[in-house]
This record gives sequence, structure tokens and C-alpha cells, in this order.
Amino acid sequence: MRAIPATRGPRGAPPPPPPLAALLQSNALLDDAALAGATPLRADVLVLGGGGAGAAAALAAAGAGRQVILATKLRMGDSNTVMAEGGIQAAIGPEDSLQHHFDDTLRGGHNSADPHLVKQLVTDGPAVIRWLIGLGMHFDLEKEAGLGARLLRKKAGGTTVPRILSHRDVTGLEMMRVLREAVELHPRITVMNRCPAVELLSDDAGACVGAVLYDLEHRRFLLLRSPAVILATGGSGRLHLGGFPTSNHYGATADGLVLAYRMGARLRDLDSFQYHPTGVAWPAPLAGGLISEAVRSAGAWLVNGHGQRFVDELLARDIVAAAILREIAEGRGVTRGGRVGVFLDTPGLLARQPDLLETRLTGLKHLAHKAGFDPRREPFLVAPTLHYQNGGAVIDPQGETTIPGLYAAGEVSGGVHGRNRLMGNALLEIISFGRRAGAHAAARPVAAYSRGGIEHVHRWQRALAAAGLPRAPRAPLLYPDYAPFSLRQHAAA
Amino acid sequence: MDAHTPPPPEAGPAAAPAAGITLVIDGVEITAAPEASILQAAAHGTAALTANIGCMGQGVCGSCRCMVRRQGERQVETRLACETRAEAGMEVSFIDYFIPEHRHVYDIAEVTESWGLLDQLNAIFPEAAHCRHCGGCDRACPKGIAVQQGVALCVAGDFDAAARGFDECVMCNLCTLACPEHIRPNNLGLFVRRATAALTLRPIDLVRRLREIEQGAMAVEIPPEAGAGAAPAVEHDA
Amino acid sequence: MDTLNQVLLYPAFQLGADLEGWLAAGGGQGLIAALAEPAAIIPTLREADLRGMGGAGFPTWRKWQAAAEAPGAGKFVVCNGNEDEPGTFKDRHLLRWTPHAVVEGGLIAALATGAAHLVLYINPHQAAAVAEMRRAVAQWQASPWLARMERALGHPLDIAVVETSGRYIGGEETAVISWLDGHFPFPRRKPPFPAQSGVGRAPTLINNTETLAHVPHILRHGAAWYRALGIGAAAGTKLYSLSGDVMRPGLYELPMGTSLQELIFVHGGGMLEGRDFKAVFTGGPSNTLLTKRDLDVALDFDSVRARRSRLGTGAMIVISEGTSIIRKVAEYIAFFAAGSCGQCPSCKAGTFQLARLLDRIDGGRGTAEDLQALESLCRILPGSGRCGLIDGAVTVVESSLHTFPDEYAATR
Repeated sequence: MRAIPATRGPRGAPPPPPPLAALLQSNALLDDAALAGATPLRADVLVLGGGGAGAAAALAAAGAGRQVILATKLRMGDSNTVMAEGGIQAAIGPEDSLQHHFDDTLRGGHNSADPHLVKQLVTDGPAVIRWLIGLGMHFDLEKEAGLGARLLRKKAGGTTVPRILSHRDVTGLEMMRVLREAVELHPRITVMNRCPAVELLSDDAGACVGAVLYDLEHRRFLLLRSPAVILATGGSGRLHLGGFPTSNHYGATADGLVLAYRMGARLRDLDSFQYHPTGVAWPAPLAGGLISEAVRSAGAWLVNGHGQRFVDELLARDIVAAAILREIAEGRGVTRGGRVGVFLDTPGLLARQPDLLETRLTGLKHLAHKAGFDPRREPFLVAPTLHYQNGGAVIDPQGETTIPGLYAAGEVSGGVHGRNRLMGNALLEIISFGRRAGAHAAARPVAAYSRGGIEHVHRWQRALAAAGLPRAPRAPLLYPDYAPFSLRQHAAA
Repeated sequence: MDAHTPPPPEAGPAAAPAAGITLVIDGVEITAAPEASILQAAAHGTAALTANIGCMGQGVCGSCRCMVRRQGERQVETRLACETRAEAGMEVSFIDYFIPEHRHVYDIAEVTESWGLLDQLNAIFPEAAHCRHCGGCDRACPKGIAVQQGVALCVAGDFDAAARGFDECVMCNLCTLACPEHIRPNNLGLFVRRATAALTLRPIDLVRRLREIEQGAMAVEIPPEAGAGAAPAVEHDA
Repeated sequence: MDTLNQVLLYPAFQLGADLEGWLAAGGGQGLIAALAEPAAIIPTLREADLRGMGGAGFPTWRKWQAAAEAPGAGKFVVCNGNEDEPGTFKDRHLLRWTPHAVVEGGLIAALATGAAHLVLYINPHQAAAVAEMRRAVAQWQASPWLARMERALGHPLDIAVVETSGRYIGGEETAVISWLDGHFPFPRRKPPFPAQSGVGRAPTLINNTETLAHVPHILRHGAAWYRALGIGAAAGTKLYSLSGDVMRPGLYELPMGTSLQELIFVHGGGMLEGRDFKAVFTGGPSNTLLTKRDLDVALDFDSVRARRSRLGTGAMIVISEGTSIIRKVAEYIAFFAAGSCGQCPSCKAGTFQLARLLDRIDGGRGTAEDLQALESLCRILPGSGRCGLIDGAVTVVESSLHTFPDEYAATR
């Protein structure tokens, strides 16, 4: 990383894409005046982020008896979780095992994941499914419901055994609405919508002891002290790295990475992103949106401009995406309305299995409805879309970062998937590590309330000045740059 | 894929070209690309959206609920902005996210007695039996769910059918906003969905695997070379 | 001559359910005149320029004529006593204290339209009014008057007291019909108008209580007498429900066209604790504002409308300086939101969003964008409902935007 201030630790870490590097080296949004006027609040555990990881963490911490505040930039549930279509991995098949799940995950990530985290992930799998059912989440069954029924399992790209459990192709929606309801009804969880974190708070020993939030509704800063902070802020697709469209939700602007890095947390694999192979390329208004891997999993082919299949559609996502980009780069793509991609042959699939659209692919049905055409007659044009931030904050198996008191769970963390993620492991990760972080954070002594401040920001600013960068841009970004937003102007209005 | 920077196959989200269509969103005149959704038009407006925006097009988060009046029409519809195409002369008003006044508090872990589920439902959602059949919820639903019928199924104890009826609900709360009897149909439907899963879903393959794990029959071995491909991590030294 | 309480609130008429007393005080004379020449009833009302006192100010004779001319048997006359809007408390007084004037007005209406049913539709929240009216109706039914009516009509006349749903929306004309048909009081779109198809699909005349109470007096004394009661071009008298920050709030009958100044500072005894007058919310289905500049306005339908406001039901809620107009408007919106029947999502969602924006602006958190959104909503919503409830909500917001731009200026 061409880091200013300089990085510590082993040299040779691949640099993050320039827009992300610029954010990591940015200056704080916050100044001391805002801090002085901030409204003080306290919590036993502070969760930043309203997606699946944040919800799981909050439920775990509150379940352990702690008073939890869950603060989120948009609204509880507005996240990538709710958009997840394909499903969740858990090794429950008779021919499957935790070891198979471990091996597949590590291999899918090119042997670059932290094996201890992967072991934790796969071992938690079945218990996570049971926990979700206990909260009231539905999963598709093989045949009829009833005692003795088996879960429907689908095969994910890059896995040896069918292991994807799902609720049709709206698994994330089913998961998120259950989690959100559980969080909102929990007597020990307070949800603060539209309250993005703009800085973390540190104590003299360098531990994280809270965060500064900005309350958009009341236009005020909140100084939230808490002996444990869980970052569940998600990824960075809305930076449109490399000029790619993205499947991510509106709030995916790398805020958590920026705050954690500024505080001194160790980050990994910042150069590694997953491009989902089947983003919509045409029709234009849906560009970047996702066509679930469930469609390929169900047997849909990818076809180039010469009418040929060019890749095994069920290989790992990075391989399929690279194959599509190769077809396009070598002139075998298809152009429609100025957009280039390859065909996702839904007419072929639905000719072979006509009832799929009504039974399993309801998400596809909706997408086609929005697109205004019949997927039985017309194929979508697809191209890779920026989908997932593989890297993030380094964590231990309890979800704690290298900063005491600062936890990370979900897409903001790194190491669980290494440099490529398998379908279905993200939904598992957010619950597995969200709950772990929540439980571990709940175990921190509550008495350790500290005054807390932003001395780490001052150190960072001195370093920026010393490096000749006193006027670095300010971050976290909070919102994509489609239209202007200035926190200072907002707070002054 | 992560070893090189891939070439961008196309630009990011489409910015509004000069020759677009003009509509009014929350009183601000906005020019949008043809075929853009209301939400895309709003997101590329004069100031960044900080509310009423989430999944940005998939139609699953329910944040972008709005009222829409088309040019020359009297009718005002409630819609999701991400699923509604912007049209010339449209007037749009976003609807704030919901702050519930009447809560139906329950802990699903305490809903354990399937013989008493109907009684519990009536105790938690006493208003559900008061439906006046005004049809406002059906008209308000941007997903075309038969909400009123779903409420009736819940009250009748036809739980599986009710759960199916609310399967595509994105919890946008528009039916709750529309209901004059404070029934909160979407929360009612979700309660029934949760209760039916929590009370009846007992997949035997999962049960057996959990038992195997408990008995220590599912150990995971970490091979010595595992994780050898990891790249170094970074942190600053300020 | 004292202009206060000359007709409807004339002390000798405040008898309750005492038919003999009413007749002794000169009641029944209007009905006698009507029976003598039924064809003259509607022209007399026209000449008297009697208006709908429920808020619309629509010429009463037109409605009567439409119902009279509509083909069909079993016609209904409904006295609308659902009165439920903020600040209005006139009809409950008439129903409780001069029920015979109201019934007599209803009988004359039945005669003019050839109705077979007279329904007194009364809000059960005003239990005393319901009870008193039941007694009054029983007295009429036991009297020879009913037989005379039926002879003149050529068919039986049924008189009934019906309790309303007690909901605000139940006062809307089509909701009245729905309730009397045995359904929840859901309004529907017009046409068909009640005069064409009302209760049981029969032609139906629905009049406000106060409107009907004026009728026997007009028939008794003549149109010229009635017109002369008013000031200037305005005719008759009007009940004003005065409330808010005044010394003597209460119900006042004054000549139609009395100035706001006189109502507040003469009859109302001036402002409470000597505060400065700021504004008046005129009550009714469309709440609007009058300000200091309007103290000279004549309180009749046409003069108030010329100030871009509405006389409404004649309710005058007086606000003193130091009161937030936006807060008051927000309270109205909350009232409309609670009263919305649910049929039209735009009404529920519209009132919700209006309330959120007003709350933000009043709380000092509003921005220029919020104000733009508020003004935009005022353009989007009108006409979107089956009934006028959402239009009424928008009217109060628009009126405040127009009348008190400074209150909103902090957010501009």
C-alpha cells in the first residue's frame, strides 16, 4: 500500500484500488467543535450497521443481558443482506461434512483465508440454521413439510456437495425481515436509524470505547460511549471501483474500513473484490443489479455472441466472471442498447423446466417483470458487477479486531473468505461472526466506561500534515457521489 | 480475477443525459434519463439522498416508498420508487420511514404452544379481528399482495396459507400506514410466518447433523499448508 | 335592537323536548304556512338565500329542488347531526335545546321533496342531544301533525332518530348514506349525488342541523324578514362557535355578516389576559386562517371566501400571539389522519407525510427541502380521495402557508 503515513508490518501487501486508498488516507469529517457540542449517550454494546451481521450481533449481546444500541446510516435492514438471493451454506447433507465445507471454502478462496476463521465458520453452520429457524426463518424443503422433512439443498459454484439452503431466491429478504423484527421488538436493543458513525472514540490505552454518530433527523452529533463497539458496516460497492456497476445497496461506501484503519486496526486483502458474474448489463435501468446464482444453479447457461457456451457456469464466481470479461474483451460479447455482455439463457432453462419461474425463481420473475419482458422468450444480457469486498478488518475467531474493544463482523471484516468468496458463505458469515462478536463484546466488563476521545484522529492528522497532506479529502464518505453531500453543511443547516 | 484490474464493461450508474424527462420529486424539478426509475432519478438529483433509499432497485428493502401522481390524473398511488419508472410530468412525494405508535411486542421464543397459537395471535394483535374491509391495505401494497385476505386468514387460524400470502412482503409498512384500525398487517403476517417456522420446521437432516457435532463426530482438521496463500495485512503507524 | 340570539338561540325557544311550549312560543307556524302552499317552500328558501350551514355554504334550495325533482319513491330527508370537527359545537345545542325547530324544518323538507322518511342522524358522543331528540320525535309522532303531514304527502312518513358511528368521516354525505344502508360509513366518489341515489338508492336530501333549524322561522316570517336579518348582502343569522384565547368563549347567534372584530372583541369579551390577537382558524371541513388584517371581514360565506378563507361551520378558534401556527396546523392534520377511513392510501399516507414535514419544520429541524416537499404535497394530494377529507387537510396547510409565510420562513 502506497500508504501515507507509512504502513507497518510485512511489506509487499498488494495496494487497494486508488479510490479506496484515497479514502483510507483521508482526513476526519469531525472537528473538535462538533465533538464539544455532541449529545452524550451510553450503551453496554454499540453495534454500527443495520444489516444481518449487526442484527445478529445486537441480538447476541442483548441476549447476554446487555443494553445495546444499534446505529445505522440508512434504516434498519437497508443492507446487502436483504438483497441476498441465493442462500446460505451449512453442511447438513448426509454425504457432506464440516470438513468438506472447510475444504471447499479454503479452496474457493485460493487458500488465502484464515483457516481458523474458516473452521469457526463451517462449525457454526448447522447451529446458525437452527438459530434462524428458532427466530422464525423459513427454509425450502425437499418435498412436503412435516416431521422428517429434509432441507432442500442446492449446489453453489465451486463446491463439491450441494450445501446451499435457501428460501426460494429471496433468502436474504426472509432472513432480514425476521432479524429486523427480532431486533426491533427486543426490549434491550435501541435502534437508531439514520445515525451514521463518523468517527470512533479511543481511550488512552488505544482501545475503542465508543463512536461519534451523526443524527441526520435532528442534525446533531451524538457522543456514544460504550466499552465495546461492533463494526458491521458492510462493504464498498458504491465506490464503483474500476468503473464497475455494483449490486450493492446504496450505503456500501467503505465507512467501516476508513474508521477502523484510522484508529489503527489491521486490514487485509484490500485489493480483492468479487465481481458477480451475472449482473444485469441490459436493460439499462436495471444495470448492475443481480441475477441470482440460483438461476445458474438451476441450470441456466451462459451464451456468447456466437451462440456458444464458453464456461462451466457452476465454477467459482471469479472464474466465471473472468470468462465473461474475456468473451467481451475478445469481441464475442453481445451489444444491446449500448451495453455489452453475454446472454443468460433463461428461455433455454425455462423450456427445460417450465415451472421454475413460479416455484423457485420468484426473484427472477420480479426482475423480468421490472425489465418488461418475458424471460421464457427473451434472455437477459449479463456482465460482471462489483459484488463483494473480500478483504477487510483482521479479526480473531471471536470477531475482535487488532484494536481492543473493536469488533468486526460481516463484509467489513477480512480473512473469512480470503481472496474469493463462495456463494452462500456471506449469509453464514454474518450470523456466525455477528453472534460471536456480540457475545464476546457482551462479556467485556461494563465498568470499563472511559471518557474516550479522538486523540487517535489528532495523531493521524499530525501524520497527514507531516506527509504533506494537510488537505486530504474527508471521510467516511457516507453516501455515493451521485449527488453532493456535505456533513458540515447538513449540520449547520 | 483479483490479480488484475478488470476493464470496466460500462460506466457506473447512468447519469442523466441532457435530453431526459422532467418530473418533480418532493418539490424539486429533476431531469432523468429515459427509462430511469423514480429512485434513480432522485439519487442523481440535486442533493444526495439520505433516506428512502436502500437496495436501490431490487425492490426488497421497502425504503423508497412514495406517493405518485401522474400528469393529468387525480389518483395518487403508493409505490416503491425503485420499481416505478419515472415519467414526464410526474409528481412524487417520498414517505418517511415509519415510527410505530402501536407496537405488538412479543418474543417468538415464548410462542411455543402450538395448540394456543390462535389465542396468542389474538392477544398480541387484538385489532386484527376489527378489519372493516375498506381495502386500503390492498390498494397501498406496492407488491400486489392480497393483504386484507391475508389478515382474514391469520384471524381464522389458516396459518400456512396466511404465511404464504405474506411471502413476498418487503415490510415497507404501507399497509400499516393505510390501516385505519391499526392492525399492522405486515407485522401480523410476519408474526404468523415466524411462528409457523419456529413451531413446525424440524428438518431431520439438520437435527442429525447437530447431534453428530454435539457428539464430536464432525471435527475439522486444519491442514498445515492451509492459508499459505494469504497476502500480508496492513496498518498505519501514525 | 340587540342583534344577539334573535332566532335560533332566542331564549323563549330554548325549551328542549316540549312540543306544547314550542307551539305556544310560535312554533308550528312555519309548518302551517308550508302545508298551506307546499309549492312555495323552495322559492321562499331561494328568496331567503338560505345556505348550507355545515360548511359548504351551498344554496339550500338547489339541493331541495334536486331531491324534489328526482324520480323515485321512498325518498329520505336526513338531518346531519354528526358534528365532530374541532371547535364546532352548534348542532348539539340545537338538537338538545330546540329539537322541535329542527324536526319542524325536517318536516317542511319532507313536504317540499315528497319524502317518506325523515332521519335525525345524531352523533352518540352527544348523548343528551340523542335522548332529547328521541323525546321530541315521540311528541311529534303522538301529535295530530303527523297525520296532517301524511295527508298532504299522500303517503306515510316515518321519523327516526339514528345514532351515527361517532366517526368524523361519518358526517360526509356519502358516508351518511353508507351508514344508513347498514354499512361502515365509508365515503364513495360522487356522482351519483345523494339527490339521485342515496339511502336505499332512493333520492336523499341531507342537510346540516342548523340549516334545517332556520327553515320554520323563514316559512313563518317570510324570506324578506330573513334576508333583512343579515348585514349587507348576507342573509339571516348564523351560529358562531367561538373558542380559543378569548375571554368569553361560547356559542353566539349573530347576523350573518357580523365582523370578526365584533365577534371577538364585543361578544367574546376580547382576548384572554390581554394577549395580542394573532389569527383565527375557521372550523369546518376546510379549515382556513384569518389574520389581523381580516378583523374587519364580514363573517358570511362570500365575504370570507373573498379573503381566501372559508366560513365553514362558523367555528372561530382564536389564536393569540406566541402560539405556533404550524403546531396548530399539525394538530389539525393529526385530527384528519385519525379520521381518515382508510379506503384511499393517499389520504392516510398523505396526512402522515404532511404531519412529519410539519413536525420537522415546527421543531426547527426543517429545511428548505422540507418546505418544498410540503408545498409539493399540497399540489399532489387534492382530489385524490373518494371524499374531501384529504382536500380539507391540504386546505389548512395551504392556508397557513399563504397566510403566515413568516412562520415557515425560518426554514426557507
